[in-house]
Amino acid sequence: MKEKADVLQGTLALMVLKTLDVLGPLHGYGIARRIEQISGDLLTVNQGTLYPVLLKLEQDGSIASEWGTSENNRKARFYRLTRGGRKQLQAETRGWEQTAAIMGRFFTAKAEDFQ
Amino acid sequence: MRALRRFLNRLTSWTRRQQDEERLRAEIEEHLAMQTAENVRAGLSPMEARRQAVLKFGAVEAIREDYRAQNGLPFLEMLIQDTRYALRRLRKSPAFTVTTVLTLALGIGATASIFTLVHAVILKSLAVANPDELYRLGKESRCCYWGGYSQEKEFSLVSYDLYKYFRDNTKSFAELAAFGASEELFGVRRAGSSEAAQGYPGEFVSGNYFTMFGIRAYAGRLLTSNDDRAGAPPVAVMSYRLWQQRYGFDPSVIGSVFSLSDKPVTVVGITPPAFFGDTLRDPPPDFFLPLAAEGDDIKKADTHWLDLIGRIQPGAGAPGVEAQMRVELKQWLRSHWGEMSANDRARFPEQTLFLSPGGAGITSMREQYEHWLQILMMVSGFVLLIVCANVANLMLVRGLERRRQTSLSMALGAQAPRIVSQALSESILLSLAGGAAGLAIAFAGTRLILYYAFPPLSGMAGIPISASPSAPVLLFSFIISLVTGVAFGIAPAWMATRVDPIEALRGASRTTARTASLPRKTLVVLQATLSLVLLSASGLLTAALHNLENQDFGFEQDRRLVVKFDARLAGYDAERLDPLYRRIYDSLSSIPGVRAVALCVYSPLSGNNWGAGIWVDGHPPPGPNDDDDASFDRVTQGYFEVIGNPILRGRGISAQDTATSRHVAVINEAFARKFFKNEDPIGKYFGRDEMRSSRQYEVVGIAKDARYLGWDLAKPISPFFFLPQAQHDFMPNDPTNEVSPSSHFMQDIVMLTWPGASLSIAQVRQAMASVDPNLPTIRIRTLKDQVAGQFRQQRLIARLTSFFGILSLVLASIGLYGVTAYNAGRRISEIGVRIALGADRSQVIALILRGAFGLILIGLFIGLPLTFAVGRFLGSQLYGLNPYNPVVTFVAVVTLGLSALIASLIPAFRASLILPMEALRAE
Repeated sequence: MKEKADVLQGTLALMVLKTLDVLGPLHGYGIARRIEQISGDLLTVNQGTLYPVLLKLEQDGSIASEWGTSENNRKARFYRLTRGGRKQLQAETRGWEQTAAIMGRFFTAKAEDFQ
Repeated sequence: MRALRRFLNRLTSWTRRQQDEERLRAEIEEHLAMQTAENVRAGLSPMEARRQAVLKFGAVEAIREDYRAQNGLPFLEMLIQDTRYALRRLRKSPAFTVTTVLTLALGIGATASIFTLVHAVILKSLAVANPDELYRLGKESRCCYWGGYSQEKEFSLVSYDLYKYFRDNTKSFAELAAFGASEELFGVRRAGSSEAAQGYPGEFVSGNYFTMFGIRAYAGRLLTSNDDRAGAPPVAVMSYRLWQQRYGFDPSVIGSVFSLSDKPVTVVGITPPAFFGDTLRDPPPDFFLPLAAEGDDIKKADTHWLDLIGRIQPGAGAPGVEAQMRVELKQWLRSHWGEMSANDRARFPEQTLFLSPGGAGITSMREQYEHWLQILMMVSGFVLLIVCANVANLMLVRGLERRRQTSLSMALGAQAPRIVSQALSESILLSLAGGAAGLAIAFAGTRLILYYAFPPLSGMAGIPISASPSAPVLLFSFIISLVTGVAFGIAPAWMATRVDPIEALRGASRTTARTASLPRKTLVVLQATLSLVLLSASGLLTAALHNLENQDFGFEQDRRLVVKFDARLAGYDAERLDPLYRRIYDSLSSIPGVRAVALCVYSPLSGNNWGAGIWVDGHPPPGPNDDDDASFDRVTQGYFEVIGNPILRGRGISAQDTATSRHVAVINEAFARKFFKNEDPIGKYFGRDEMRSSRQYEVVGIAKDARYLGWDLAKPISPFFFLPQAQHDFMPNDPTNEVSPSSHFMQDIVMLTWPGASLSIAQVRQAMASVDPNLPTIRIRTLKDQVAGQFRQQRLIARLTSFFGILSLVLASIGLYGVTAYNAGRRISEIGVRIALGADRSQVIALILRGAFGLILIGLFIGLPLTFAVGRFLGSQLYGLNPYNPVVTFVAVVTLGLSALIASLIPAFRASLILPMEALRAE
């Protein structure tokens, strides 16, 4: 139970970083929409879980935030990637790609490869 | 690194909590507004759009909780919240809080004050460098002189000659120091000042004494080996205490000349404040003088008066050093073979010695008081247990009262650990407050105990035990308060979480949950048991004290005054003594109201004696294993009449016993029994082993047994003989060699007044000053006070135990009262029904009393065997009183029963006054 939530939180953090990397400064709702669009139903039920993740990333120094004005003229808090966050994103992307590649090879391997 | 940054972020964000909460709220609001707008664009009605947005966002409270957990320090926060909550709850019930804190403070204070004493007397090392490297000679401490070339059990006191032999041959000691086993009183006066000489204790120490301890001077310098040589200029070191209290840190003291018992000595330095010498003593020495300044004993190879402490070389093991010193002892003894007596030679093979850890110095006080302190520690431990039981009881009641509230919290989703932690934080808070208050009580208690156990002599230092709690004592009290807090907090907390919410909320005070009172009943039984034990212990000690104080001492206590003085302090030598005594006699006798005056070395129970070995004329000389010990005292004419000690046969010491008449002795009954058995002692002769003569004294009288020695009160009075002051003893083969010449220094003057006459201390002091203004009067007190002083410590222990016993009785009664009142309260409706059905008041009272006395009976049942165990433990401290004393046990049982009756009668009586209609309506 708990482990799954941790994995989710970890991936969610990475998604947030990637989103900010691609789209530049963005408010919470925008980040949620973007993740929803790309990842499908991961966030459809609990958009709110995003906010503790944002706070944690900010505490780690990976992102920074300030109040700004949204496209439809509302006051909103905008998050942007910091230098540290960019480095973290690069490192974690590499890690993910490696893991994904290993796991991919593992799943495509056929029975005879083990002999 | 990141963890640290996160922690700092959390710490800062925790401090601006309010702001962050606001930010989250704004962000959520923003998010929902955007989502709602989106949904509206997708065609939903504004209401539905909002609803969908909220649904999609998820549980706001959970997210907020999660956010908070992320933000700030949840553990610390919970702790602060719980503490604040507990404080608020405690404030709301001041009676409970004050009672609990006071009860705890008494328990913790009692234990901590006793522990302060235990720490100072038993556990503490001397205030010196690396006390672990120190070793001392001897397993037990021994006082104060030992003659000859053999010692019983172990060689633990050494002569100056033997010390030098050990010091020069034992290379495993970095330093080996020697010092006098007893203190000496000096008449001290600053040279050139007109002030009267005052007595201060001092100690003779070897030149390397301070180097060995690794101590540096507080001011000036300490002694060195150069000071400890024959012909060196006479110097001394003063204690910080005396420098502060008498001379107000006057820097000119250092380097100035003082007259110490009429000899000029230069004070060269001051010892550090924490240093009180090598032995915990009352009073500690105020002067340290080099051994070379000691006149007589230093020259004699067979006079053993020194204790040894050495600092062992790094890497050297104590067993190896001990073995080497045993060989050295035998070598030294062999080199004195010619001077040894036949008995010494016979005992030569068994002569041995032991080294023991010396970091605590000479532990004579520890040997003396260890058992007392154990008793007190046990008693105060019992009190602490009773206190804990009482507080646990109070907490249980509180837990029960709060049951509905707890159930409600649980039903609303509070977690069990949180509820337990709240209950625990309350009890820990209480116990810490109790601990803090307990420290104050401990400080006051220790001071009081020290004051009564070691009453200060005017001008002298008190015993060097500080009443203010030291670090170990603080730690000890903190730990006991924490442990008691957790111990009595856990049970109620645990019980609170075990409540089934529905069951409890359905509520009614009518539940059949009698089990809830089981722990409380157990606690009352425990309290009853412990108080019975304490009551009988205090009863036994009080009865023993009563026996001690009312025994037949063999002398009269009323109308007698004892003046303590020492002519050596004013520099008197043997030739000038007789005229001095004559002047004192004349001066004191001429005070109006004085009927008779006599001088003696030791008055009864003054705390010391002079020992001798006895050889009875016509008997074979005593062998090496024969018990020939007796004590003697030197007295002036008329002494027995002044002290009120009846002469049973023959005569006392009188004017006819002069320096030139035949040498006589008066013996006591114990002496007659031990040495003359079936013979008639009058007219017989005896002598002393050390004089190698059996015809030294003619027995002229037998005095009734009188108690002189204070340390073997449980034993029958020991053999004593009394010699006239005027007669001097010389060795039969060498008429110039006087035996024990210092026994002619009288130390006590006993004065008998006429009935009805009142004598003031000032009159006596004035009369003494008219004899010689330089002669310090050390102390004046009545013989009654002197006798009572012997039992001071026994009285203190008996009083403390009685105090603790009464305290425990009160606490147990309160506990019983609480349980009975609570149970009676729960049975109101039952009692109402009973009364309505025709039960009368007395039946109701009996009903309630039966419950209460059931508990007390169980307590008695468990406690009675324990009281016998306590009697056995007290054992030797009862001075021959039978530890299985039925009267004491009976009184203890009745006392407990009476208090229980009073404690349970109040609620029982109240219950019997219930009006049936009211009781039933109360449902």
